[in-house]
Amino acid sequence: MIELLSSFSKFTGIYTFMNSPWGWPTAESIHFLGLCLLIGCVGVFDLRMLGVGRGIGYLQMHKLVKIGVFGYCLNLTTGIMFLTTAPDQYLFNPAFQTKLLFMLVAGLNMFWFYASYSDQVKATEAATSVVEPAKIIAMLSLLCWMAVIICGRLITYFRPPYHWCWFC
Amino acid sequence: METLARIEITALSVWFRESGLAFFGSLTLHSLAMALVVGINLAIAFRLLGIVPSFALKPLIRFYQMHWIAVILIFLSGLALLLAYPAKALTNPVFYAKFAMLSAGLMIASKLQNLIRTRPENELNSKTVKLIALASIIVWVGTITTGRFLAYTNSVLLASRFF
Repeated sequence: MIELLSSFSKFTGIYTFMNSPWGWPTAESIHFLGLCLLIGCVGVFDLRMLGVGRGIGYLQMHKLVKIGVFGYCLNLTTGIMFLTTAPDQYLFNPAFQTKLLFMLVAGLNMFWFYASYSDQVKATEAATSVVEPAKIIAMLSLLCWMAVIICGRLITYFRPPYHWCWFC
Repeated sequence: METLARIEITALSVWFRESGLAFFGSLTLHSLAMALVVGINLAIAFRLLGIVPSFALKPLIRFYQMHWIAVILIFLSGLALLLAYPAKALTNPVFYAKFAMLSAGLMIASKLQNLIRTRPENELNSKTVKLIALASIIVWVGTITTGRFLAYTNSVLLASRFF
């Protein structure tokens, strides 16, 4: 697995870029910008479903989510750059594994939303609250993305992870 | 440098540096609050620039309440990080660039909040407002970039090593 990821990184030129003097911090800046777009667009929509900004139409505000998805794509691209450049620093790191788990939960939560309550929420009047399950989805989404940020910080901070990792 | 070294040996500075939870907590809080502040400002700027279809701007004021609470958290956590490694930040020009960008971003946020609160919706489509929104995006991208580069550009970690 490590060899495969390393080969991909070297073959595509990612490794060379990431090991240039400003490669890593540039990718980190784009990674955090993507996260801000995600929080600012998906997170703000989640907050709207939780009742903040009453009066703003759900359907209109949902248009922000497209920019959040763009932010997610930035995160995914730069995340792959980090992972393939130093796979051994990530694959065995419990903070990275936990981060992936929360990303998975956030993804499943998103599918739950679009498969069940999306149309109902978009059709809800701006002055009305959304249905309770949609609020739970919004809260779960916010918590997951906060956990992703925390785990992202943990990846580089606690090494070894005995301070916090109960399953290590 | 001597002053910075003195700050470093205070009990509070040592605690922030050596207590894993205090430093990590400050770092995480700083990231979370920064993501919220930058995120809200970018979302508002995209709306003002017309990148996302129009929705009522006045109710966005409620998001600003959350925004300013997050700003306080940014400053408190930033202060804790600065106290932990004062020389690392204060001897690095990138720190001042980040601080300038952050201050400019907050001034723009305050200006936009005031415009949204006081002006009628149709006046918020003016070229001036769009320029302010564009400036907001540039400044926040700059804040993030300088913030990340801060960790890679320091020439001094601990001033006390020089004494």
